[in-house]
Amino acid sequence: MKNLHFKEYFQNYLYDLDYFITIYENNLHVYNYQKLTKLSEQEIILNINNKKVIINGNNLKIKQMTKQELLIYGEVLKVAFTYE
Amino acid sequence: MNKKIIWVKIITDNYYQVLFRLNSIGIVIYDNIIKDKYLLIKTNYEDYLRITKYLISYKVTIYKNAGIYLIKDIIKKYIVFIIGIIISVILLIVVNNLIFKIEVNSPKKEIQLLLKRELKKYNLDTLKLKKSHKKIEEIVEKILENNKDTLEWLEIKYDGLILVVNVTEKTKVKDEEVYEHCHVIATKDAKISSLNIYRGVALKEVNDYVNKGDIILSGDIMHNEEVKNLVCASGEVYGEVWYKVKVTIPLIENYIEYTGKNRYNFNIKINDNKYKILKSRIKNKKEEEISLYKLNDFEINLVKEKEYVTKVRELSEEEAYTKGINLALEKINLTLAEDEEIILKKVLKNTVNDSTIYLEVFIVTKENIGYVLVL
Repeated sequence: MKNLHFKEYFQNYLYDLDYFITIYENNLHVYNYQKLTKLSEQEIILNINNKKVIINGNNLKIKQMTKQELLIYGEVLKVAFTYE
Repeated sequence: MNKKIIWVKIITDNYYQVLFRLNSIGIVIYDNIIKDKYLLIKTNYEDYLRITKYLISYKVTIYKNAGIYLIKDIIKKYIVFIIGIIISVILLIVVNNLIFKIEVNSPKKEIQLLLKRELKKYNLDTLKLKKSHKKIEEIVEKILENNKDTLEWLEIKYDGLILVVNVTEKTKVKDEEVYEHCHVIATKDAKISSLNIYRGVALKEVNDYVNKGDIILSGDIMHNEEVKNLVCASGEVYGEVWYKVKVTIPLIENYIEYTGKNRYNFNIKINDNKYKILKSRIKNKKEEEISLYKLNDFEINLVKEKEYVTKVRELSEEEAYTKGINLALEKINLTLAEDEEIILKKVLKNTVNDSTIYLEVFIVTKENIGYVLVL
């Protein structure tokens, strides 16, 4: 019998654990980040689940910020993931 | 829950450090503006309280409200001005829809009183609200219906704040007065040029010369040198009348020339008295008025004062001659009725003496010379 993963779907729905990163021109939207670990003009580092998201660029700034979301603007040059 | 959104000012020159701290204490930022010495963040009031609690080393103040609270603040700040505007607009609307004066265009006092009384019946009076065009039409019809023996035509319209009533009274056609015995006599010395007899006996014919007072059409009906009947003679008699007109035209005349220098002024007109607002600095001027505001007998006008200088010029004899003839014709024309005309003009004398031209002009006119003399 095929496993339908009801438990995971339900948990996912309730806790909304999914994340996503959307890159627009000079803007970067991060949804469901967990922690901001570094913030500077050239580098922003975020923790998402067990990954680190490293955003490199020039003149990076935060436009909007909530506990779950970040809207970063500036010249984004690189977005990288590293696993802890 | 409607959270109060505000702009918070944080004095800092390290934007990244402050943002990092704000993130670590879970502050929500909807927007932010970076300035040289401070940072403006748009957040809610609860978060502002948390910022003041946790960021004690920074000077944190409320910069201004945002959203609906900003609008409330603006309204609070300009409340007197806003109420003033609202009251002004309401007053303007009310005043524009009021009748300040009723003008009935009729020379008869009783017609004026009748119409004012009628208008009052339909609530059209001074300091009452204006009515719509459709309603006015209905009122006009009703007034005409109620006074069909007195009024022929009626029009009610608004001229600003004045209710203008134009009226034509019903005229009772008087029976033409019938005279029993009359003659048609000549009013001037003339040569008869046309004769239309309606009643009576013609004693003169076309091309006959008549003197003033001569009977042209007689009301005596004769038979065998006996008066058999008396009638009121009537008819149209036109004759050629001669005039000698003397005119003198100086060869030197004054005329005005505008310098192009204009000044603007204002005047207030109350009844027939005019009061200038500014002192007039032009000595020789002609004035043109443009009405700016008018209410009953009160008027404010913009006055354009145009400066002129008086100059002298010499007319040529030819110019003076033409001017003289025109003046002579004009003099005669003023005495003529619509059905009368000048048929001939001739200059009898033309002399120039002492910078003046003297003309004697002979003018022949065609005029109605018949006059009904009731006996």
